[in-house]
Amino acid sequence: MNAPVASRQESDRHERKSWLKSLFARPEIGPVGVMLLLFGMLGYFSIPAGEFSLNPFAGEGFNALGIRNNLRVISQLTIIALGAGLLIIAGEFDLSIGSMIGFAGACMAMILRWGFSIVIPYLSFEGGLHIEFFTLIHIPDVSPLGAIGITLCFTLFFGWLQGFIVVKSGLPSFIVTLGGLFFLRGLTEVSLRSFNHRADQVKGATTVTEIPDLKNIINLPGHGEIEREAAKALPEADLLALMKDVPADVIASIAERLAYTYQRVADAKTGIIATKGVKPLERALENAIESGNEFMVTTIRDKIANFSIEPVVPKTVTDADVARAYIDSISSARPVADFFGGDILQPLFDWLYFPIDWNTNNFGNQFASGLYSCVMISLILCMVCYVMLSKTQAGNWIYSTGGNITAAKANGVPTNKVKVCLFIFSAFCATVFAACQVFEVNTADAAKGNLKELEAIAAAVIGGIVMTGGFGTVVGIVVGAFIFGLAKEAFFYIPGIDGSFYRVFLGLVIIASALLNENIRKRIMGAI
Amino acid sequence: MAQSPKQPLIETTDLVKKFGAFTALNGVSLKVYPGEVHALLGDNGAGKSTLIKLLSGVFAPTSGTINVEGKTVSFVSPRNATDAGIGTVYQDLALNPLASVTRNFFLGRELTHFGGPFGLMKMNEMHRIAAEEMAKIGINIADPEQAVGTMSGGQRQTLAIARAIYFGAKVLILDEPTSALGQRQQMEVLKTIRRVQKLGNIAIILITHNEIHARLIADRFTFLSLGEVIGSGTSDDLKGDDIKRLMAGGAEIGDLAKELAV
Ligand SMILES: Nc1ncnc2c1ncn2[C@@H]1O[C@H](COP(=O)(O)OP(=O)(O)O)[C@@H](O)[C@H]1O
Ligand SMILES: [Mg+2]
Repeated sequence: MNAPVASRQESDRHERKSWLKSLFARPEIGPVGVMLLLFGMLGYFSIPAGEFSLNPFAGEGFNALGIRNNLRVISQLTIIALGAGLLIIAGEFDLSIGSMIGFAGACMAMILRWGFSIVIPYLSFEGGLHIEFFTLIHIPDVSPLGAIGITLCFTLFFGWLQGFIVVKSGLPSFIVTLGGLFFLRGLTEVSLRSFNHRADQVKGATTVTEIPDLKNIINLPGHGEIEREAAKALPEADLLALMKDVPADVIASIAERLAYTYQRVADAKTGIIATKGVKPLERALENAIESGNEFMVTTIRDKIANFSIEPVVPKTVTDADVARAYIDSISSARPVADFFGGDILQPLFDWLYFPIDWNTNNFGNQFASGLYSCVMISLILCMVCYVMLSKTQAGNWIYSTGGNITAAKANGVPTNKVKVCLFIFSAFCATVFAACQVFEVNTADAAKGNLKELEAIAAAVIGGIVMTGGFGTVVGIVVGAFIFGLAKEAFFYIPGIDGSFYRVFLGLVIIASALLNENIRKRIMGAI
Repeated sequence: MAQSPKQPLIETTDLVKKFGAFTALNGVSLKVYPGEVHALLGDNGAGKSTLIKLLSGVFAPTSGTINVEGKTVSFVSPRNATDAGIGTVYQDLALNPLASVTRNFFLGRELTHFGGPFGLMKMNEMHRIAAEEMAKIGINIADPEQAVGTMSGGQRQTLAIARAIYFGAKVLILDEPTSALGQRQQMEVLKTIRRVQKLGNIAIILITHNEIHARLIADRFTFLSLGEVIGSGTSDDLKGDDIKRLMAGGAEIGDLAKELAV
């Protein structure tokens, strides 16, 4: 039976691709192209009118502040797009992400603002039938970690519940999580309204405000825990007393930096005054040339040539200034709040300002203090998801659950567990998103996260995730989030175009991506 | 039936399976020996798929017993059957067409560097084993990263069979492995089955509609009709006409001709 090995085998019919060909066959290649295009557009169009530069980082889109703000939008979207995308790869949808963000934010904010209580409602007959609440436990001061932990208990439970209902009932996750969308948004509003009977809140408001700026609470020697701004506003005597224990070289380096900053600010002011002074002369010169008054023209030319103003004298660095700058450099006493809501990469942005002079605004000040912390968080999540999806057993289970669930089941993959875990992960991502927002802005609003579920799904689709499951990558999701985040900015800067065109553009990109994804899927299934 | 001296790898006794009031199987007994291809033949709806679902742990029998290597087993999930050494290659092959050969080969049993589902997979080792195991029974794959969806039907069969054997299948159940294939690929699958048969230690239950294939490769036959065994025997016992008759549900060709002449 064993025939001599034929010279031509079945495997020879499978063409081996060159690396270049396989690079272009990758599903991410289209989205990456669009992303690069948007990068170019944003860089090019955000360069101020009249200036020419081939350096895209010269424009507003990619100056230090632009990068800070754009990366924040992109990273936040990435966080939830990972949750949504992984779930889609496993063949399910989560429409409750946006509401989950609102719910988690409100939950966290309420705990931070008023503490955590467990109450038992009961019927009271005294003075007419009504519901009374018996407070079983009340913890007035909950740490940021505690607030996040308690919130996670709720949100992960909701994620589990949705997943459980989907796998047990076999209902489409679209419907189940649509229920979740309304349920959670409603629950958030109801809870906020009922809690906002408090004297310190607007009655019936669906917001939580005046949460202390936790990430900026520092441990100041002699003053205990204090908010950074309050510390900087301390009387001068206190500030000076504070500096007594600080080593001399630290003081010297702070003073040097302040002197540098003040000098730059003074230079910038001088520049502004100079242009202001020369402008009227230039206008007068134009008039003189028009009217043909030779004498005036030469005098004004002379004046412009000899125009000079006294350079602005930089502020002197006082000890109190040094003390305030020192307070700025003290690290947070609430590292968890700082982890979610603070800044990262300050040393890099300082370096961009001091030694290499790129992070400087028109007034000579440092432009951006750093990147938002959510950038780091999304990076961590991306790396974890990347390794999990493409390198671990769990990743193979996710792909097979979405790719062919009966096959996965027949091979012993716990597909129900996979799905439920991903519903929980999606809720986790929404909670992380909410934590980043709450600790950054110190407020919460029941309307937060509205439509975010659709943005997350859109980013996933743009990034090459196939809606029917089984196909897609973490790199794709990130690219999708970049496209989504960049489009708005890029279109904003295009001259003479309505900014809302970015939505038109995104709409087209979504459909084009979906078509492309379907084409790739069919080709892999062998249908083309 | 000639009694084989070997011990059957798998033996069923009076298997009954009812779906509510409907009796899909009504007392099926069969013996399958190592190194043999046992063809399971019968009309559509005869209960072939139901029988193999009982053997592979998808359903539990209403009554009757299944013995594997002399021990009575009762499966509550397909996993139990796999663990007992019964590997089923379903009609849809239980493959994820969007994933690579290697990922499919090790689906659900990935090799990892450390325990738990979050253990990193030993990708290189998995690529090597998948390629080696498939080469053993017939095909060389050019690229273990190739998506299964782009492979030919015959190659997919080989993948599914190689996988079942590698993961310890002593009994290989093939549900109509040739039905959806073209002529060339059907032969490829038969060659693969023949190679497995030659290994000597594996019993193969082959479900097929194709009399020629059954005759070419089977050592033993069991015919089902309306949930019951209507005939069985070794290839030597059965003459060509017997097989034809039994495949038609036990009717003689003359009876069928009468039935047609309304
Ligand atoms: N899950 C089930 N529920 C009810 N009836 C079933 C089920 N599975 C199979 N049957 C019935 O059992 C009979 C045998 O089916 P099956 O074993 O698939 O036949 P075969 O594979 O031989 O064509 C058919 O009449 C079929 O309708
Ligand atoms: Mg069948």
